[in-house]
Amino acid sequence: MHMADALLSPAVGGAMYALGAAAVTYSAVKVKKDDLGEKKLPVMAVSGAFVFAAQMINFTIPGTGSSGHIGGGVLLAAMLGGAPALLTIAAVLIIQCLFFADGGLLALGANIFNIGVIPCLLAFPLIYKPILKRGFTFKRLTAASVITVVVGLQLGAFGVVLETLASGVTELPFGTFAVLMQPIHLAIGLIEGIITAAVLGFVYKMRPEIMESTVAGTPVGSQVSVKRVITVLAAATVIVGGALSLFASSNPDGLEWAIINTAGTAELEAADDIRQSAAQLQEKISFMPDYDYATAGEEGSSTGTTVAGIVGGAMTFVLAGVTGLLITLSKKKKGAAKA
Amino acid sequence: MANMRSKINEIYALEQLSGGDSAVHRRHPLVKLVSAFVYIVLVVSFGRTEFLRLAPFVFYPVVLMALSETPWRIVLGRMALALPFVIVAGASNIIFDRATAFTIGGIAVSFGTVSFFSILYRTFLCVTAVLLLVAVTPFAQLTDQLRRMHVPDVFVTLFEMIYRYIGVLLDEASTMYTAYMLRSTEHRGLQMAHMGSFVGQLLIRSYDRAERVYAAMKCRGYGGAARRGARRKLQPADYAYLALTCLPFILLRLVDAAAVFERLF
Repeated sequence: MHMADALLSPAVGGAMYALGAAAVTYSAVKVKKDDLGEKKLPVMAVSGAFVFAAQMINFTIPGTGSSGHIGGGVLLAAMLGGAPALLTIAAVLIIQCLFFADGGLLALGANIFNIGVIPCLLAFPLIYKPILKRGFTFKRLTAASVITVVVGLQLGAFGVVLETLASGVTELPFGTFAVLMQPIHLAIGLIEGIITAAVLGFVYKMRPEIMESTVAGTPVGSQVSVKRVITVLAAATVIVGGALSLFASSNPDGLEWAIINTAGTAELEAADDIRQSAAQLQEKISFMPDYDYATAGEEGSSTGTTVAGIVGGAMTFVLAGVTGLLITLSKKKKGAAKA
Repeated sequence: MANMRSKINEIYALEQLSGGDSAVHRRHPLVKLVSAFVYIVLVVSFGRTEFLRLAPFVFYPVVLMALSETPWRIVLGRMALALPFVIVAGASNIIFDRATAFTIGGIAVSFGTVSFFSILYRTFLCVTAVLLLVAVTPFAQLTDQLRRMHVPDVFVTLFEMIYRYIGVLLDEASTMYTAYMLRSTEHRGLQMAHMGSFVGQLLIRSYDRAERVYAAMKCRGYGGAARRGARRKLQPADYAYLALTCLPFILLRLVDAAAVFERLF
């Protein structure tokens, strides 16, 4: 469900950045205020590495040719509490973006919101906590996990639809996109919910106080040995990683599948009005204000692309290549002279 | 398990590059961060079929890579990871969007084809911009910069620690896997019967490693808040870098260079 840069207009990307930044700041302040402290940090970090490992693995959803991976938001929230979980998820998303090109840099705010804020700060306190307030049982734990994950993922997927729409991406009709996105993420949510429940059930069996404390809102560090928590999480990492590796697939994930099926394209273009206003702005600033590139190509071309244009484009690439080569060669010469 | 090894290599390869010493490496992390961001926003702000207008944007990765001596192999390899999806998406574009964009030598070229190449090209530009940023900015400088930009300290520290723990968890697993494979010549992969002991062993080891890492940090004076490096002032060269990496592309966004070029013929 990681959004790529191409899904967003700069404006929506910027707005989501603000939201994401606000959520991270809020969580950081809350973590500091609750004085969850230094002892919690290694647990959060190991949990982040756990989610990272789990998200690396895509599992096939039978019958759709689509695949999904774990968001991990609810799982982390249940282990760590909402605010620490959001920080952890956000950090994981940044690492994925920077080092693996998974989710764009511009889309980071949107991804933090869809994958982090919704499950950790909305679904978790509003659904998971109330269900378990009346006491822990395996049944309640399973129900709470599945429902929270499903609702969180549905909202997240809907967030993707809304953000895409707000970006003015006309290629995707709202209805079709939503109709494709929601059921796919329902399926993913059910699977993820069951996995989450299994992992949490295991943790609950080993160290029940960890999860009761996140519901009660008291810091974990004081009563629970950090060692045990890390051990349990590492075990969960290995179990989930090992089990899901069997299903690992190279199919496109749910979001990708929905977009391909709606637009027949995964690339989305900016809305006409945005483009028009950009064109107007351009006209105002342009060296040749009378030149309107939108109508320039009327003779057999609507993009204004002509042979001259293609030659120009090719020349640009050649020029760029030669520039790079020259820099590299001059650097080598310098290096040789120094030696 | 085998792909874990390659994942670790991926992370380390970029981090090793960031230790280089070039005109780009020496620049202030802030200007590198800002220029990468501006560049991506500009690239994304173009319409889907505006392929030609994006052409000059290739100068950014090419020139920066040459200056920073970043090997193409690593960046293109990372691109390859993003490609399968992009190619599937692009191919479906060719199928669905058949309206003719222009004809060249009697052969009609559809919008789908244009956008297919546009998708590949944009992915290339955005991915290389992000990877280049990481390849020329040491991790410590990057996180130090984030702290200076008032990103909460808890968050940045967490970010740093997850980054390290990923290596710890994955490295241990792949080392064990290699050892297992060397002892088990008959089988191609991990046997189900050995899963229990394998996983149990991995569990103990990764936990021990994580605790040793944390203990080592404590021994070196780690006390929750990371220590900041010496404050670096922006040098004239940093401003020059910012201007050279941003202004030409902002200009290219505002002015249709392709159209101007065509006008000349």
